[in-house]
Amino acid sequence: MAEERRFRSACGAPIALRRRQHSASCRELAVRGPRLQLRSLSAATSAVWLAAYGLFALSENSMVLSAAIFITLIGLIIYLHFVKIDQESLLVIGSLGIQVTSSYASGKESTTFIEMGQVKDVVINEAIHMQKVIYYLCILLQDPEDPQGVSEVVPLFQSSKPRLDCLIEVYKSCQEILEQRKTAPQSS
Amino acid sequence: ENSPAPLPERAIYGFALFLGSWFGFFLYFIWAYIPETWLFSLGLTYWPQKYWAVALPVYLLVAVGIGYILLFGINMMSTAPLNSTHTITDNYAKKQQQKKFQEEAIPALRDIPISEVNRMFFLPEK
Repeated sequence: MAEERRFRSACGAPIALRRRQHSASCRELAVRGPRLQLRSLSAATSAVWLAAYGLFALSENSMVLSAAIFITLIGLIIYLHFVKIDQESLLVIGSLGIQVTSSYASGKESTTFIEMGQVKDVVINEAIHMQKVIYYLCILLQDPEDPQGVSEVVPLFQSSKPRLDCLIEVYKSCQEILEQRKTAPQSS
Repeated sequence: ENSPAPLPERAIYGFALFLGSWFGFFLYFIWAYIPETWLFSLGLTYWPQKYWAVALPVYLLVAVGIGYILLFGINMMSTAPLNSTHTITDNYAKKQQQKKFQEEAIPALRDIPISEVNRMFFLPEK
């Protein structure tokens, strides 16, 4: 069963959280950011081309115009393929692990899998980020030597940066599954 | 022994600094404004170039302005990134000792682990 709710990101952009429960111990949570707007794309393209036309009027060199077109195309491709993240999703499988996927606007998907033995907990942490204090969800990885220690922190939803209300929903869903591994019998 | 109260020695140091700074200011004024020929005629020939009378204050003010930006930048660089364990714990919290729980007493101050804090805040008690 799937349900979708609207929230806001830390900067105020609208985002949507989609929750799907595949089974009792498997949940998928996906946060989708706003798509690339046509008006911002046109505004950026027009600004670059007007600047190039201004340079051409000053320098009488037609290479400036072709360079501007080239730069706009290459810049757009690089932006869509490496920068613009459309959807970030979290797949929690109780006995197996956690998979984090980022889907870019060009269709590229980058995936990370963390097995359940390494996961200590999923928590909402607050930290200073660029003159703001933000809440962000993160996975705490277990330190092999020290049972109480944390070896690494993996922050999630870095590009969509949901606000606290969305994070609490995701946190509650994850904790429901993580609690099951304490009550489940340990396999040797 | 280290009180901020006014003492006779402090008054003397303060007055000496006051006189010294006025003397320094008048010396700078004389050096910057009086033409070189007048100073040479008095016999005082070994002065730095008058260029520095303008250059040093400008250097100082630009350094103060850059200092603001530099301090801002150093602060931003020293902030722990989002994926570092320094946002969760530190050496003092790792080495803290648990005090024994006493009945009817306020529990001792300690650093509560983040998992426990999260559970208390965000999971409603049933």
